[in-house]
Amino acid sequence: MLAYVVRRILATIPVMLVVALVVFSMLMLAPGDPAAVIAGDQATPQDVERIRQALGLDRPFFVQFADFLWRLLHLDLGTSIFTNLPVTHMIAQRIEPTLALMVLTIVLAVSVAVPLGVVAAWKAGSWIDRGVMLFAVFGFSVPVFVVGYLLAYFFALEWELLPVQGYTPLGEGFLPFLENLILPAIALGTVYIALIARITRATMLEVLAQDYIRTAKAKGLGTRPILFLHGLKNAAVPISTVVGIGIALLIGGAVVTESVFAIPGLGRLTVDAILRRDYPVIQGVVLLFSFVYVLINLLIDLLYTLFDPRIRY
Amino acid sequence: MRRRDLLSAAIAGAAGLAAPAVLGQASAARVLRIVPQANLTSLDPIWTTATITRTHAYLVYDTLAGMDSSFQPRPQMAQGWTIEEDGRVYTFTLRDGLRFHNGEKVTARDVVASIKRWWARDGFGQEIAKRHAALVALDDRRLRLTLQKPFVLTLKALGKANASPCFVMPERVANTDPHTQITSAIGSGPYRFVREEWNPGSRVVYARFDGYVPRQEPTDWTAGAKLGNAERMEWHIIPDPATAGAALQSGKVDFWEIPLHDLLPVLRRNRNIEVVVRDPIGSVGMLRFNHLVAPFDNPALRRALRLAVDQENYLRAVVGDDPGMYATSHSFWSRGSPMHTEEGSEPLRVKSLDRARAALRGAGYAEQRVVQLHASDFPTLAALSQVTADLLRRLDVNLEFVAIDWGTVVQRRASREPIDRGGWNIFHTTWSGPDWFDSASTLAMRANGTEAWFGWPTSKRMEALREQWFEAPNEPEQKRIATEIQREAFRIVPHIPLGHFLSPSAHRRNVTGVIKSPIVLFYNMSKSA
Repeated sequence: MLAYVVRRILATIPVMLVVALVVFSMLMLAPGDPAAVIAGDQATPQDVERIRQALGLDRPFFVQFADFLWRLLHLDLGTSIFTNLPVTHMIAQRIEPTLALMVLTIVLAVSVAVPLGVVAAWKAGSWIDRGVMLFAVFGFSVPVFVVGYLLAYFFALEWELLPVQGYTPLGEGFLPFLENLILPAIALGTVYIALIARITRATMLEVLAQDYIRTAKAKGLGTRPILFLHGLKNAAVPISTVVGIGIALLIGGAVVTESVFAIPGLGRLTVDAILRRDYPVIQGVVLLFSFVYVLINLLIDLLYTLFDPRIRY
Repeated sequence: MRRRDLLSAAIAGAAGLAAPAVLGQASAARVLRIVPQANLTSLDPIWTTATITRTHAYLVYDTLAGMDSSFQPRPQMAQGWTIEEDGRVYTFTLRDGLRFHNGEKVTARDVVASIKRWWARDGFGQEIAKRHAALVALDDRRLRLTLQKPFVLTLKALGKANASPCFVMPERVANTDPHTQITSAIGSGPYRFVREEWNPGSRVVYARFDGYVPRQEPTDWTAGAKLGNAERMEWHIIPDPATAGAALQSGKVDFWEIPLHDLLPVLRRNRNIEVVVRDPIGSVGMLRFNHLVAPFDNPALRRALRLAVDQENYLRAVVGDDPGMYATSHSFWSRGSPMHTEEGSEPLRVKSLDRARAALRGAGYAEQRVVQLHASDFPTLAALSQVTADLLRRLDVNLEFVAIDWGTVVQRRASREPIDRGGWNIFHTTWSGPDWFDSASTLAMRANGTEAWFGWPTSKRMEALREQWFEAPNEPEQKRIATEIQREAFRIVPHIPLGHFLSPSAHRRNVTGVIKSPIVLFYNMSKSA
């Protein structure tokens, strides 16, 4: 097991290198010029060229890439070419809101979607099942920003129950923290709830048709133990896989949600950096997201052994 | 009291925490929360011409001279000045009590170094630089600028308020290479930049500088008193207009610099919000041609297209149907400027597709491809661009409409290549009114070929007239030359002016002291509880 974990962690190094190369190449090949953005609309072409030289953006691709890799090897993500602040500092400033939003969304989604999926499977064909599936279709079909605007309109503007934007750190109190994050978490979690609920329902339907469930029923076991102890535990592997895969959805969704609710997180940082062509920041954030994604997949793989003792590494 | 506050107070009261809630309300009144037009990314107002950096700089830095609403330079950090030897020698004396935010005294050496860094970058500053013989600090409070020959615009340049004003920084900072960005934000202005709370893309914080001594005269644009009425100022960067609008309506922010025009009716209906025209001059739109690349390297084609332009269509696309929010201006100088004239503008009033189509054919247009860059992420620019695209299609122009983000536009517009190698023919942008005031400020009216602003028009006559304008001894003579420049501009068509539009601001009704000026100035504002 330990050897497997070490092997998987070591395997992330070439993965990250490939990510670094791909990200760097895409940025260099993509149109856009940070020097022109920096200089402002009233700069002359000569001003833009001088700034490009000062930033080293006129150097050949491989020289810039080698420089980037060298810094990366020293765990230095570089400095933002706009703010002159270290990328690590900018990421550190933004990581808490994004992390909090994602954790809250996952907790919310799993705690809502799994029971919904289980109940839908248990009452397959009933109005409850149809209701859950209708919600799932809604969750898949309506974009995150539409859900976000609707929530903001009703809960913040019409009913004045929750703030419309911003973020309060956890250190300043749990209630204000939750007040600011609950609407974004619902907006972001809608598609995630739909996904997990559907998978839970489908997997549970399969599990509930198994012989051992019939035997449990025949032995007189109650509905709750059958559903949650025998049924859900056996359905947990595909559900946890979807939860893991869904992290990618969350990362993409966080970019939109953070913009709609003006949360100063990594998603907003990424969008701003892309619009300005702030290469070091884009590289840093994408590398971080890739690393998190690889790490979460590893954790999910390890979780399998908890749900199914037959799985060994 | 709003429902949310009531609920919060009830919850806090139940928990025995009502007293801190009341205290919180009192302290909130001292904090002014602003949604600025853009994200503050660079702190150096000399390094970049970005408007948001200038807005930041007017809080943090002060200037030797300011500009009042009659476009006259007024002493600001200077107590006064003397002009001797027929306008060749300027001696400035600094006001007593000027201090930087780190407590150091502002000296004439700081001002000298700041002027030198500024004139290395700014076009108007360069006009002084090339005429100057010496610039020296005489003592701690006096500095002397000696010119080779009189230059009547010297004080206007030093007090300029549009792009790249001459902000005064500590000498050691001002000695930084003008092409290298400074990271310091230590000035002597009414507000102190709180670096430790700066979260780029999210929040910028300023605290009142208690050591600032304002002038006694009333505030008039960038001249007169600069008051730090709010104890603390927070800029909340909210790029999504709907979210910013909701934040203003719910009282989470107090002032929104440039609301989307589409949202103005909603904001006006809210009894707690006031929509104000803060900038009486407004912005001007521009359709810019590439003069190096076919087919618009042919001036006859540029003149032909001009015949079809109806400014009203552009302006309504930007601001909607409220006629109070826009004004046509058939001039290369902005409304409100002493140089403004509509002489020679007849071709821009024709507004005839048929005549334009005939003129295009007559000028030899034979369905060559025209590449128009469209900044899809800037609502104003996108609106202007879409009107032009429609116009070109109705004129049977073979149009390639390239929809990209602004970051790509600013890169691609720098290309002088032909269109099949990534070049372009047309793009749109907007300028604040003061950027089109006169020959000193209007970068887009340079016509020195590849040295000119993007589009690179060439006209020896226009450049010669520009030189004459700088040497003109008085305003009537400047106006005469500016009219000549305009006539030449209507001949070579460096770009097509698309008229003026106003961009109102919106604020909660408890906000007072908003300065009405074409330059965005956030000092003086305050908020009652």
